[in-house]
Amino acid sequence: MDEWKPNPAIKPHKKRSWYLAWKYKLMNQRALRKLCQTGAVLFLLVTVIVNIKLILDTRRAAYEEEEESAQDYDDEMLNVEVPRHPVSNKKVLDVEVYSSRSKVYVAVDGTTVLEDEAREQGRGIHVIVLNQATGHVMAKRVFDTYSPHEDEAMVLFLNMVARGRILIFTIKDEGSFHLKDTAKNVLKSLGSQVAPFLSWRDMWTFVGKKGGEVYGEKHAKSPALSTWGDPVLLKTEVHLTSVEGRNAAWSIQVLTRRRKRFCSKVEGYGSVCSCKDPTPIEFNPDPLKDNKVFNVPVAVIAGNRPNYLYRMLRSLLSAQGVNPQMITVFIDGYYEEPMDVVELFGLSGIQHTPISIKNARVSQHYKASLTATFNLFPDAKFAVVLEEDLDISVDFFSFLSQSIHLLEEDESLYCISAWNDQGYEHTAEDPSLLYRVETMPGLGWVLRKSLYKDELEPKWPTPEKLWDWDMWMRMPEQRKGRECIIPDISRSYHFGIVGLNMNGYFHEAYFKKHKFNTVPNVQLKNVESLRKDAYETEIHRLLGEAQVLDHSKNPCEDSFVPDTEGKVYVMFIRMEQEADFTTWTQLAKCLHIWDLDVRGNHKGLWRLFRKKNHFLVVGVPASPYSSKKPSSVTPIYMEPPAKEEGAVA
Amino acid sequence: MQKINKNVVLALLSLTSLVFLLFQLYYYKFYLSQKNGAVFSKVRGSQSGQDSTRWHVVRKFLGLISSHNIPVYLIDPLILGLVDKDIEKIRSSPDGPSPECKYFCAPRDFTTFALLEKTWKHEVGLFRTAEKMGFQWLKIINKDPRLDGMDDLSGIEIPLHYIFKQASHAIHLVVFYERSGNYLWHGPLRLKQHMDRKFVPFRKLHFGRYPGAYEKPELLLVSIDDLKVQIPKNPSGFLEEMSHSRFLECRYREARAFFQLYPDDASVDAVEFRKKAKSLLHLAALTLNNLGVKFWLSSGTCLGWYRQCNVIPHSKDVDLGVFIRDYKADIIPAFQKAGLPLKHKFGKVEDSLELSFQGEDDVKLDIFFFYEEDDHIWNGGTQAKSGKKFKYLFPKFTLCWTEFVELKVHVPCETRQYVEANYGPDWKVPVKTWDWKSSPSNVQYNGVWPVDEWDDVIQIY
Repeated sequence: MDEWKPNPAIKPHKKRSWYLAWKYKLMNQRALRKLCQTGAVLFLLVTVIVNIKLILDTRRAAYEEEEESAQDYDDEMLNVEVPRHPVSNKKVLDVEVYSSRSKVYVAVDGTTVLEDEAREQGRGIHVIVLNQATGHVMAKRVFDTYSPHEDEAMVLFLNMVARGRILIFTIKDEGSFHLKDTAKNVLKSLGSQVAPFLSWRDMWTFVGKKGGEVYGEKHAKSPALSTWGDPVLLKTEVHLTSVEGRNAAWSIQVLTRRRKRFCSKVEGYGSVCSCKDPTPIEFNPDPLKDNKVFNVPVAVIAGNRPNYLYRMLRSLLSAQGVNPQMITVFIDGYYEEPMDVVELFGLSGIQHTPISIKNARVSQHYKASLTATFNLFPDAKFAVVLEEDLDISVDFFSFLSQSIHLLEEDESLYCISAWNDQGYEHTAEDPSLLYRVETMPGLGWVLRKSLYKDELEPKWPTPEKLWDWDMWMRMPEQRKGRECIIPDISRSYHFGIVGLNMNGYFHEAYFKKHKFNTVPNVQLKNVESLRKDAYETEIHRLLGEAQVLDHSKNPCEDSFVPDTEGKVYVMFIRMEQEADFTTWTQLAKCLHIWDLDVRGNHKGLWRLFRKKNHFLVVGVPASPYSSKKPSSVTPIYMEPPAKEEGAVA
Repeated sequence: MQKINKNVVLALLSLTSLVFLLFQLYYYKFYLSQKNGAVFSKVRGSQSGQDSTRWHVVRKFLGLISSHNIPVYLIDPLILGLVDKDIEKIRSSPDGPSPECKYFCAPRDFTTFALLEKTWKHEVGLFRTAEKMGFQWLKIINKDPRLDGMDDLSGIEIPLHYIFKQASHAIHLVVFYERSGNYLWHGPLRLKQHMDRKFVPFRKLHFGRYPGAYEKPELLLVSIDDLKVQIPKNPSGFLEEMSHSRFLECRYREARAFFQLYPDDASVDAVEFRKKAKSLLHLAALTLNNLGVKFWLSSGTCLGWYRQCNVIPHSKDVDLGVFIRDYKADIIPAFQKAGLPLKHKFGKVEDSLELSFQGEDDVKLDIFFFYEEDDHIWNGGTQAKSGKKFKYLFPKFTLCWTEFVELKVHVPCETRQYVEANYGPDWKVPVKTWDWKSSPSNVQYNGVWPVDEWDDVIQIY
């Protein structure tokens, strides 16, 4: 290119004038003229050729450059899971699906995309979504439809899958016990003949296209209640479509790029990926005035439940006063899909190699996440700790902003938690009310850095101790008599049904009816009265004005509390010493609140609401508030049922 | 007829040639302007007789970052050096127009700026705009050292350096991260395999050869050469700091391997001792820093850092080293004021000085003073009951920053030699019984203090 530089602008003119000048002089010298002409022609031809070459070269160079910079840009694009089956020319996929009591697998073109033969795990209906154009796996789920409500989750999921995707179903162990008609109808609408008649311990496999043809279905009936159906193996062929059915023309922007990346990789998030009016992935909630927690890091502890994480992050990012810059999602394991969800929302995510098993694994993950959080935000005094299966209330940060100074100033505090263990629909009433409790509820809480760095981190349970981190934190050696601040109405909602210590029954009994605040900007009242000494004054005042209930009645009966509103009532139960919770547990049971262990107590006092009245329960004589008991009143004693129920949280 | 024909052909060919040439020119211009405006800005530069390219590029860059609300500050050592000479004038007339282009026109390959990571929302928009403005840019990322110390976290990669190039000038943007210990850190600049090694002359960069540690600077908004920039309030202080800012990361991987071999002591005593040692070290660092006395981790504390990135729980004291030239008489009263009474003082300023302070619950703080010779450095020891003197020899070393128990402290850069001199080649094996008179491999007998000096050189409280 260099040698051409001197030429460009001048050459043609010079040539022309040279030609004109010499034309007449050399008119008669024919031979010379001819030579010149030939020379000029040759020269011009060379110019043309070189020019063409140059243009081609430049174009190629520019193209390469473009490609290179594009690569820089979309570095991650290249990491997108390459379809395991290069399908450029292939039109047909061989699909094998196996269903049995102890093992399921799915193979696509000879590659195993699902294999689960772990014992006591993966029960229920496994669902795999394939891209109908490329054949690569877009989502993998298992719904334990042996347990309640899992079928609802499955319906939700299936509804979110785009039309045209290929769906593969297979049952491991049992998948019909809590598969209700709604779910069966959805399966039927996908083309399954057998689904409506699926019953106890049947084996079943099904491959079909959403809203389209059925590629195959196999079913083995269980002969008797005590035995399982024979294993079934379905082999079928799936025809790929040439063009990706969904190709939304989103304008090229950062947000849409994130969305595009996400939607090209995963499935099952419904309208996030629809072309028309996709669900927003940026929320811009109102900022908080005088937000004291704007610079407090938020650690989201996650595992491999991407749909949960998606729901959780949506609610978190919609909460007023949220600062996305401070959020880090810690994923326990190298799972891709949760990371995709994190990136969809433009947050930062960190993956953690699982250490140890079960409870200890969770506990090690917590430790790593907390340490990392304080490393990443070295000047933070606190960290907000959330889990992936929580909904976050719209005023979550407002609640923390109003109360966090207590954690800084009051040494007798252990944490601030968004969760009230006893705050059920029928026992919580006042969004502006806070309590002090001796237990650590977790489920959305604030941890003080000094507590973590000086006390907890150095002696955190090691991987070989199979302890629950939260149980460990509740132990007296750690808690050292300190208390947590909680709201009457929880600022988080625990929606997780699948989990290490969680299943549908358990969730229905203890979490489903939990009250969750939906009112924005609640002004908390009497925050200052939550300090150690002020709180005692407050309790004494409350007990002073409380009306003593009729202790001859049965406290479990509704009529025990008069049909009033806004009154304060007190009842006294027997509590021989500090750790005697016999009567309380029975009372909690019949009030349908948390009864698996003791939560929400403060010096032998429980505070909750009944029929919109503040309802205080004092344990006599262990509680220091026993002095408030009129001498005429005999504390109520409730006997535990003869046979112990072995339920443990 | 033939003549006309030929002429026509000739004319036609000339015309095509012209068209092609014009097309080529257009293409050339189009292609180049997309990359950068090299040709054109060069022309402008040569016209004015000075290297105003640099000034233009810097101005463009400042425009770019202010349009994205990114606060950067100038850390270019050459410019700061010039600025420092005129600092009074610049401070007094923050808005005055400058008569000549004095700082940003010296022809250099680079101008260096710093960016505080936490003030920046990582947005892609910046780079799109940069490209539109004709910048080429390069991002250098690497592992996040703040997560390096942790088992099994997939440290996300973080941006450490950016280079924005236009024409013949490049802006080097160094990303500073806040780390535990209340200091700023920047990473090393390491090119990955596929990167363009000739993008800029990397060797000439002022930052990036090593990672560095800095205090958080106070900034000052000034106008120099008609450009508004933030600079460190005290440029000479910053340059001083820069000259020995090299940072060493703890050897986390080796530490993990060590703990695999020798599991960590998690007993209550160990936890308690570590907590106390940490707070003693924090207190000592605060006291010495306030006095302006440079110190480093020595002996067991240094070994703990180097071998296991933590306090050795059975070491029972905290050891610091100080060059005797940095000795100040205020040290003892300052520690006493901080609640650490003097426990003993051995030796004298001229020879083998050693101070011990009593921390909380039997945790002791030892400060050894180091004497520099031509080919080695040594510190002394004294046996109280016999008056015997000992000498501990070390190869010469320089000081580097590191992070230890949430504190930015010095360690010898040549840590391995230092530790090996002290503990021998088997320093990797924990030893619970240690005699300071015989165990160190670098100890030498150094005679006996004259008895008449004992009152002075052996003081026990």
